[in-house]
Amino acid sequence: MRRLFIIIITVALSTGLRAQTGGMPPLDKSPMDMSYYPANYPVQKIQDKITEPLVARIIYSRPQKSGRVIFGGLVKFGEVWRMGANEATEIEFYKHVKTGGKKIARGRYTLYALVNESSWTIIINKETDTWGSFKYDTKKDVVRVEVPVQKTDAIIESLAMMFEKTNSGCNLTIAWDNTKVSLPVTF
Amino acid sequence: MWSLTRSYFIIIPLIFLVACSHKENKPVENGIISSKDSSKIKAPGKNENPYVIFDVSPMDMSYYPADYPKLKMAKAVSTLPMARVVYSRPHLQGRQLFNNLLKYGEPWRLGANESTELDIYSDANIQDKKIKAGRYVLYCIPQPDNWTIIINSNIDSWGLHPDSTKDIARFIIPVKQTANHLEYFTMIFEKTSTGAELLMAWDNLEARLPLKF
Repeated sequence: MRRLFIIIITVALSTGLRAQTGGMPPLDKSPMDMSYYPANYPVQKIQDKITEPLVARIIYSRPQKSGRVIFGGLVKFGEVWRMGANEATEIEFYKHVKTGGKKIARGRYTLYALVNESSWTIIINKETDTWGSFKYDTKKDVVRVEVPVQKTDAIIESLAMMFEKTNSGCNLTIAWDNTKVSLPVTF
Repeated sequence: MWSLTRSYFIIIPLIFLVACSHKENKPVENGIISSKDSSKIKAPGKNENPYVIFDVSPMDMSYYPADYPKLKMAKAVSTLPMARVVYSRPHLQGRQLFNNLLKYGEPWRLGANESTELDIYSDANIQDKKIKAGRYVLYCIPQPDNWTIIINSNIDSWGLHPDSTKDIARFIIPVKQTANHLEYFTMIFEKTSTGAELLMAWDNLEARLPLKF
């Protein structure tokens, strides 16, 4: 019953918002963005300046801090966080990679994080094309990797994700508020 | 079963609450907008994000069936989605579509920044041509009375200068004027009796690409 009610509210809310834009979806409060490894691969591709093959891409939505305490506040310690907003955060590997000592086959996955004060557990999960972490199913986990929390120099207003080159592959760096973590990926 | 009428008493005030708060929402947050090439208009406001710039033409995603991820979350679907489009949403900012932005007969990327991407999850038919399941780039050549929608295989590319040697199919579809002006470029799927239409709308124009599944 409660679930049905949530669905009705969700549909009604989106319908309500669309009424303002002539039936079209409004701009999201937490807009989507995309990052590739190698960084800026699409630009390199059209300029014939590709230096290394395509490895990974992440599609995520970018909520904003808006004055709130994020970690330990909005995102509760010990809970699984969707690491984004709206549609579940999607990571795609274009080739086999390794993270957390485990081989990850090429393909699309959903990313979550279990957030704690001094470390996060990054979760790569097989259930794609879903919404947030509301139906997160541990049985579909591919790997869980614990990574230490680092503090940022400045406050990061919008959740940001990017890939950074390392000696053995790349790091997926995730930053928001005063916190960042890096997930090492090797290939 | 809870009666629907009872639910509406709660839902309707909620809609107003959200609708009102949304109006105050400013879409652009940061100072310098772009190392990307969407709209190079400098917005007033806070500092630039040191990691990833907050884009003035934000990305968005539409599925068919519409709202598939929400339906999946609610366990209201058990099959795969049929299609998805991932695109960036430029906005008019006082400009007129065919005065300052697009030119008739020249390729338009149907978005901004990264190429607009069409994901087909199971084989589809467009104007009696089979489009195999897979990932594609979409772009358009607009004319006053029609748009040519092009499905191209140069995926993971940037939207400027589409590579026509990688075109897979071209479809001419009518374009029509709408009563409203739409600030943000919008793409959504709408159900039809035989499948869905990919609706592309901006300013006072809309065009529909019919897909059969």
